[in-house]
Amino acid sequence: MEADFWWLVTVACLVWYSTITAYVSIRGAWDIKNMLARLQALDTDHEEEDA
Amino acid sequence: MSHFSWPIDGSIVGLYLLATMVAGLSVRKYVGKVEHFLVAGREMDVYLGIASLAATEFGIVTCMYTAELGYNHGFAGATAGLLEAAAMFLVGYTGFCIKPLRDSGVITIAELFEKRFGPRIRWWSGLVIVLGGLLNMGIFLRMGGEFLVLVCGFDIRYLEIAMSVMLAAVAIYTILGGMLSVLVTDFLQFVVMSAGLLAVTFLTLKHVSWNTLVSTVEQHYGAGGFNPFLNSKLGWSNVAFNGLVNTAAVLTWQTTIARVLSAKDTQTGRRVYTATSFFFVCRFVIPGIWGIAALATLSPEIRASTTSAQAMPLFLSMTVPVGLMGLLIAAMLAADMSTDSSYMLTWGGVIYNDLLAPFRKTHWSERRGLLWNRAIVAAIGIFLLVYGLWYPLSGDIWTYLTVTGTIYLSSMSTLLIACCYWKRANSWGAAGAILTGAIFPVAYLVLEKLDPTKDFALWIGPNISGIAAYVCAGLAMVIGSLLKPKTFESSTTGSFHGS
Repeated sequence: MEADFWWLVTVACLVWYSTITAYVSIRGAWDIKNMLARLQALDTDHEEEDA
Repeated sequence: MSHFSWPIDGSIVGLYLLATMVAGLSVRKYVGKVEHFLVAGREMDVYLGIASLAATEFGIVTCMYTAELGYNHGFAGATAGLLEAAAMFLVGYTGFCIKPLRDSGVITIAELFEKRFGPRIRWWSGLVIVLGGLLNMGIFLRMGGEFLVLVCGFDIRYLEIAMSVMLAAVAIYTILGGMLSVLVTDFLQFVVMSAGLLAVTFLTLKHVSWNTLVSTVEQHYGAGGFNPFLNSKLGWSNVAFNGLVNTAAVLTWQTTIARVLSAKDTQTGRRVYTATSFFFVCRFVIPGIWGIAALATLSPEIRASTTSAQAMPLFLSMTVPVGLMGLLIAAMLAADMSTDSSYMLTWGGVIYNDLLAPFRKTHWSERRGLLWNRAIVAAIGIFLLVYGLWYPLSGDIWTYLTVTGTIYLSSMSTLLIACCYWKRANSWGAAGAILTGAIFPVAYLVLEKLDPTKDFALWIGPNISGIAAYVCAGLAMVIGSLLKPKTFESSTTGSFHGS
């Protein structure tokens, strides 16, 4: 009974982790691109204000 | 005999290291302000946050202690992961403490405390956070070096060299790029780390069947290998202590909370927590299976001649084939580098933001602030190297980490909850909580090292002393706050105008 519980937990871990790795690998790359673009835009705004 | 091959596995590892350094250094041009350096300009989104949080909270030391828990206690050793995942999900879902924390716009927890408890409490909070955090991470480098030397089959004389090279690589990009470099390299490290962890786990399950794992646990630990309450070395006190430690860590652990504070808004921070919560089950179960597999396959002679922490790396060195070995080493390096970089940065942030706050009463330029932050990160790197080589670890790794973490987790979680939800809380209660929360774990660490008191410390045990720290910190907060006359309130609050 308790061994079955740990079997379920292990299977859930492998399935969830495989899925989230694939998904985050794609979406995370977009996040980095957008984050750097926002920081670049903020930097440009500050430079224009200073000028 | 290790299967590590320099031409094949060495090339994979070299390629990974090169990619990490390029990624880490390429974003340094975006760091123009202290806020960029410490919290990435608060521009982090959900998926980057998930990758970063998962990569940070899984280092080689994590792999070593969770595998050790599996080796020493069977599946029951992974109970702490279930507790931490539950705590993180609930905190993320409800926004308990983290919502007011992120809404306040602070850079560190101690900075929030200043608003409620005054500048002295901010400084003392910063001190216990740094003390607990640095003692905690002091063993990371040695564990990482030990793992790499054992898995690769290198001579133990190369341990110091392995530690120094790894630290130098991490320090370079962290010092230059701060949190931005940490986030970008964390993402890359998450992908490599996850691929390696999953591949090695599938290989382990193919090599050692599930039935063999279950029968090994039954044979060595009986019902206690599946149920922590029936395990003579764990029991209710261990479960209760782990519940307290993990809940407090979710609320106040500097590297964890840094993701909430770096998030672009409160909602994003909460989503990062709920979405990452199940990872904390994986980080205990996956290496735990490697530890049980080591127990199942290593001969009694080998088990007798190695420590429980060394069993899993030895098992991997004999099981993982050429090619996959390169991926495993790259994955573990990725795990360790992401952890080390984030730990150096976030604890360095507390030193700058809170401990140096009294010295920053006049305005510091961004350039000066960045210079100080970089110098602090470099100093922490040197500390890690010296402490890692010097400190002799006794007992299991997880116990050491929970005890040193409790130095600040017990009081900071109490202060945070009181700060957010109890109007009567004040500086007397906060000071009492900081003092009592630190006394128990520090006393335990000292007593277990001294010969005359070693047996007494063992009799008390880390779990009871840890529970006492949380209970007494809570009581001190209540009693101290109620004792302080209301007329004192206005005279003890003020501000460093730190951040």
